[in-house]
Formats: sequence, C-alpha cells, structure tokens
Amino acid sequence: MASYGNQKYPPRGGIRGYLKRNPQTKYVAPAMCILFLLSIVPTIFLLLTSFTNYQLGWDFARAKFTGLNNYIRLFSGRDPDFWHAVAISVEFMTLATAIEMLIGFLIALMLNAHEFKLKPLVIGIMIIPLAITPTIAGQMWKLMFNSEYGLINYLLSGLFGIKVTWLDSGMAFWSILLVDIWQFVPFVALILYAGLRSLPSEPYESAMIDGASRLRTLFSITLPMMKKLIFLALLLRAVDALKLFDTAFVLTQGGPGNATEFLSLHVYRLVNAQNGLIGRGAAVAMVLLILVTLVSNLLIRLQRREAD
Amino acid sequence: MLKHRRWRWRKNLGKLLLGFGFVLLSLYFLSPFLWMVSVSFRNKVDIFDPGNVFASFTTVNYETIFHDNIMKLFINSAIIAVCSTVISLVFGTFAAYGFARFNWRKREGRAFWILSQRFLPAMAVIVPYFMLASMFRIIDTHFLLIICYTTFNLPFAMWMMRGFIEDLPKELEEAAMVDGCSQIAILRKIVLPLVLPGMVATAIFCIINSWNEFVFANFLTTVNAKTMPVSVMTYLSVSGVKWGEMAATGTLAVLPVLIFAISVQKYMIRGLTFGSVKG
Repeated sequence: MASYGNQKYPPRGGIRGYLKRNPQTKYVAPAMCILFLLSIVPTIFLLLTSFTNYQLGWDFARAKFTGLNNYIRLFSGRDPDFWHAVAISVEFMTLATAIEMLIGFLIALMLNAHEFKLKPLVIGIMIIPLAITPTIAGQMWKLMFNSEYGLINYLLSGLFGIKVTWLDSGMAFWSILLVDIWQFVPFVALILYAGLRSLPSEPYESAMIDGASRLRTLFSITLPMMKKLIFLALLLRAVDALKLFDTAFVLTQGGPGNATEFLSLHVYRLVNAQNGLIGRGAAVAMVLLILVTLVSNLLIRLQRREAD
Repeated sequence: MLKHRRWRWRKNLGKLLLGFGFVLLSLYFLSPFLWMVSVSFRNKVDIFDPGNVFASFTTVNYETIFHDNIMKLFINSAIIAVCSTVISLVFGTFAAYGFARFNWRKREGRAFWILSQRFLPAMAVIVPYFMLASMFRIIDTHFLLIICYTTFNLPFAMWMMRGFIEDLPKELEEAAMVDGCSQIAILRKIVLPLVLPGMVATAIFCIINSWNEFVFANFLTTVNAKTMPVSVMTYLSVSGVKWGEMAATGTLAVLPVLIFAISVQKYMIRGLTFGSVKG
C-alpha cells in the first residue's frame, strides 16, 4: 500500500513517528524479536560456553575461562575425531545432495513424461517417506538392515545368495546414505516435478520445429528455466544433510567406532551424560553452526540471484 | 507404415519401462512403512523370520503399548505441536502481512534472515538451550519444547503466509481503506477470512514437523513432557530391541501424519518450498 508510504506524513520524532513512517514495523517486530531472542541469545551463550572448561553437573562457579583452548585443541589436530567428523559430514552432504538431486530430477522427468491414471497414487506413495517420523523410519530400516534376520538380506540371499553386513564400519556410511536417499529423493522429485509442470510450452514448440534433440532441449531449455527451483532444492537438501542427526543416531549412534560420527553426532558424544564435556562440545557445536550458516548463506545468495 | 508401427512399438516399450520403474520406486518408498505395519501385527518369534509373510496375526504389541501408557506420549506430542503451531501462526501471519503488503528498504534481507533461522542446527543450539533451561528450571516441561519448536515453525509460517497473502488481490484492501477501515480491521475482516485455507494448510505442516521432531525432545525431556518420537529409544532394552512394540508405536504415530499429509496434498509443494513455489 503505497499510499501509506513516507510522503504522506510529515517527519515526526519518537516511537509514534517512527511507527507512522514504518507501518510494517508493528507487524514484523514481534516475530523478529521472538526469533532474535530464540536464536541470538543461545548462540551468544554457546560461544561463551565454548571458551570454558565447563562440564555437565558442575556449578557455574567451578567453570574456568580457558580462552581459545577448546578451539586450539580442535584445529591443532589433537582431536583427530573432529577432523574425521568434519570430513565425513562434508562428504555426506556432497554425496547425498548430488545423488538426491540427480535421481530426484530423473523421477520428476519420468513423472512429467506421460499422463497416467495411477499418477496420484505414485505421488501419494512418495509423500510417505517425507511425512513419516524419521526416528521410527530409521528404526525400521535398522530392522531391515539386520544381517541375520533383516528383510533385505533375506531377499538378497534368496535371490543372489549373498549377505551384506549393512551396519559394519565399512558399510554403515553407505547404509545411512541409502536411508537419506529414501527419505529425500521424493522431496526433490516433487519440487522439481512441480517446476517442470509450470514451464511454458512455447520454447519446446520452437525447439521441436528447429529439430533439437531431446537431450539438447533438456540442457538448453529445461535446465536453465528450472535454475531457481534447482537452487532452492539444493539449498534445502545441502543444509539438512550437513546437520543430519536423527537417522544416523538411530541407525548407528555414530558407530561402529567413529565410522559414522558426523559433526552433530560428535557434539552428542562430547556432551552426553557419560562424557559431559560441555565446553569442548560447545566449540564443536560452534563449528557446526558456522559451517551450516556459511553453506546456507552461500546457497541463499545464489538462489536469490536466480530469483531476481 | 512399417516405420510407423516400429515407432509405436518403441513408444509402448518406453511406457512399459516407465511403468516398471514406477513400480520399483513405489516399492522402495513403501517398503519400510509396509514392513513396519506387518511387524506390528506379529508375534515376537515371527519378527525374526522375514520369509514368514503369513505369520499369525496378533494385536499383542498394541495391547502392550497401551498398557505401558503410550497415550501419554501422544497427548504430550499433540499438546506441544498444537501450542507451538498456534503461536507460530499468530506471529507468523502478522509478520507475513508486514512483509507482503509494505514495501520497505531492508525487506528481502530481513525475510531471508528469518528463513535462515529455519536452518539453525538443532544439535548446535541444544547445548545452550539445555543449560539455560536448567538455569530457569524448565527442563522436561511442555513449555520448553513449545519454545524450541517455535524456532522452526515461526519462520516456516511466516514464509508460507507471505505467499498466501501475496496471492490475494490488493484492490479489496485498498477499497476498504478508502471506506475508512483501520489497518487492523482490514487484516481481521478481509485478509484473514481469505487466507484461512492457507492458514489451515500451514498449521498442518507445522503440526507434522513438530510431531516428528526428535533432537530437542530427546535431550530436553525425561518423563513428564516426553514425546512420541523419543519413545523409540525406550524400546532398546538390555534384552534386545522390542521390535513389535516399536513398530506398533510407529504405526499409530504415522497414521495421523499420513491423514494430515494427504489432506494438504494440494499445498504439498508449497509446504516443501516455504511457499516460494505455488505448485
């Protein structure tokens, strides 16, 4: 409502004048204040904690300010588990995002190729992995992964005569990836399918007249027009894969050993009731927070540039 | 003629492959769910024999979990999800109106700041939340989880409602303003009734997200405010995992979510993309 813009009112001082000049403030401010309180205060508290040697169950008075000690320990390599956690978190994010985007896009193209009667049913089925409680789905996968009485090995040994120990140190990472793909491929596919359906048909008609091949049409017309949505799906998947916790916690709890100890699980191992190293855990949590913020800001920026 | 027939044959083969692909994909997406339902109706011995598809049907798992008072966890989950959703929706809709209907300098920057709050990693903020909550002695209360869930529901509600409000024609509100309606009256009498379907859809998405949340619930509750997703951890006993009970809990927990999800299918794409794709 432009008529409520700046010019209509003469400049006035004080809060009332400010509200008159910025009529959006009274709508936006409550939500912004709540979010500010709920995110900035804990972040500051986390930062302060990461400079101390606080342990679970201590009085706050007993905690000592240790400066950058916790961070020096992380970055000087005295905590090899930390670098392992960073490495597999980034590896998982890259692999999961890439594979899910690729398969999701293929499924979207498949859905868009023909109209068929059962399409609503297929889409309905794809909603199940998205809506189901992740921890419960994780437990069910764990039961199916079980090497002796799991469904997958039963089928594999019946069909091909092989058995795979899905959750041993070599395979656990890939098993978690498989569950993540199961959970989020439908997510990417549904978003991209919606995008494909909303594309205008004119460019395709002229491409057909020009005799462009299907592959050429895909790369020169479909992909560029879908850029905004592709970046959006990329943003949502990359960030969620980087902070992965639920399914990995349920499937392996970071094990065997530290084979699947992603960053958030590393934080968990430091701060849980047995170890209680809150100060050190807070430093790792800070690193996780900064990594997630960097990735999300980078991708938000890319997405906004496409949207404009 | 021959060429035409070959072309049709190829097209049919393509369709057949596509159909086959969809059957395989559907099985992959459905299998854990179907397996869960089937395990929930099995006796303990039959669970460890996957080939025994036609195992004896039993409801003993459901009886056990009801006897163990599973309903309390469901009620906790419901209370927390509904309260957090209401709070998020009220403040989110207000903010959405400010973002949708006024043009101000830092608007997009602020909107994306709100979005970025949705990406806050729960495992990173759990440490300060735990310490602050112990300081204020609100660990294991519904109130604490309601606050926590608002951190991700409020940004989501704001973005969804912004999309729904921007879809409305501005002329209605401008006409009402000419007639001398106050801003608040316009919001209450014109905007709200029109975006009500959108609000319902947004609320359902918020409820599903809260219902499934695990990290905050697992680390900030012990007994009183424990929610359903945490219950899976209690089935990991010393004598092994109680798969039957777990599957029964899972089946009951998933039912309302599925009903909700199907009821907002029309808005599914919007919900998945924070309202930025109208789908």
